[in-house]
Amino acid sequence: MRRVAVSGIGVVSPLGNSAAEVLANARAGRSGVHRLAIPFANRLTAPIAATANFNEVVDFDPGKARMLDRFSLLALFAANQAVQGAHGALLDVDRERAGVFVGTGMGGTLTMDGGYQTLYGEQSDRIKPFTILMGMHNAAAAWIGIEHGLRGPNMTYSTACSSSTVAIGEAWMRVASGQLDVAIAGGSEAPLSPGSLKAWEALHTVATMDVEDPAASCRPFSKNRSGMVLGEGAAMLVIEPWDRAKARGADILGEILGYGQSNDASHITRPSVEGQAAAMNAALRAAGVARQEVDAINAHGTGTLANDRTETAAIRAIFGARADQIPISATKAIHGHLLGAAGALECVLSLLAMQHEVALPTMHLQLADPECDLDYVSNTAREGLAAQVMLSNSFAFGGTNAVLVLRRAG
Amino acid sequence: MTTTFERLSAILMKDFKLQSDRLTVDAPLESLGIDSLGTVELLWNIEDAFQIKLPSDPVDLPTLGDVVRYVDELIAKQGVVLAPAPPGEPALQAI
Repeated sequence: MRRVAVSGIGVVSPLGNSAAEVLANARAGRSGVHRLAIPFANRLTAPIAATANFNEVVDFDPGKARMLDRFSLLALFAANQAVQGAHGALLDVDRERAGVFVGTGMGGTLTMDGGYQTLYGEQSDRIKPFTILMGMHNAAAAWIGIEHGLRGPNMTYSTACSSSTVAIGEAWMRVASGQLDVAIAGGSEAPLSPGSLKAWEALHTVATMDVEDPAASCRPFSKNRSGMVLGEGAAMLVIEPWDRAKARGADILGEILGYGQSNDASHITRPSVEGQAAAMNAALRAAGVARQEVDAINAHGTGTLANDRTETAAIRAIFGARADQIPISATKAIHGHLLGAAGALECVLSLLAMQHEVALPTMHLQLADPECDLDYVSNTAREGLAAQVMLSNSFAFGGTNAVLVLRRAG
Repeated sequence: MTTTFERLSAILMKDFKLQSDRLTVDAPLESLGIDSLGTVELLWNIEDAFQIKLPSDPVDLPTLGDVVRYVDELIAKQGVVLAPAPPGEPALQAI
């Protein structure tokens, strides 16, 4: 297996639209969650979300903006930024050995929702002609491939909230095994359509709005947590063999050491300690990393009652007494749950945190929960933490658990 | 009275951001950057602007002139009486 370097990062998210911005906001604990101002908000029990400050009309020509759903535009924006930052990663590469791996949970749901509004709301048959092309889950990956002329595998993974961790992991396997020489990998999600917001609300997984401070509504690992907050955005990596990145003098931002997966095979929503622990175990095995080498974890940490206590128990099951010494960050408190893009954004945050020697805070952790008794780096960043190896956990409805093992560059 | 070509040109300028000097009856759609997908979108906009219902049969429309003829035929066949062009729509000279 070859070593795999991350040589480019692209991000557009509720915490900002560049690696520097996202790190600064995450470090300071500034929340991207806010009260929704859309007309539909009055139909929502908790009118809150984490939106990306991204205007597709400004960033893309009208022809493209008209043909791509927001989730594809976010993906393309992040991919372009990652490629630009990777300084020549796509030059002099066999295009058939260059792939695209994108995770998304809901694909072009905004477009589909608009189509249903026309059909059922307005009782009109005039569905827009590009509805299928914009709505299909593989549109984002396809557009990235077209934009950069990448003719290798063009893959889309939809495993709910672990989609982009799976996408990055699968890309890592192809590059590490020698099948590919470069890949753009990550995730994108634009789930804030009325239909989607109501559907998530109906599932009773969405946080109650903190009326005094809507930005603090998501409270992972806190006893008074009440659920997740939906978010939108995209994060993409350029990954390539370590030696290739070194040879062309690339600025290496981190290393992907391994990836593991498991399936709960028990319940469609209820998380399982065994399943989550199995994914962490599988990732460590694939990476060839011993448990005592893990310095920090970016938790799945959704802020739901079930996830946070299950994840705590799973981390304990893997690390035993040493679990108390591992700083755990749950950044969804401030960027919301980007569903299929969440794992990619959290992978980016983990790489940046290691590079800049900081443990990112778990914000809004107000009340200790006896069932969540680990070190969650509550409410304030821990500076000077020189973690070498981190896990980035992603667990999903459907039971597809995925974990990345990441190492600091250099 | 606004001609079919003028109405078509208005759509192309507004939705496809094309300059009026490129819009001639013999201009191939391909040369205007309107490929097969673009034609699907154009026809969708035409249905609205001309208040006609397009048949689902595939149709070959290489030039703007062909589009005009096709639309005129459908207007005649469907007995559509077009409302005047909305105010603010560019008043184009027929070319």
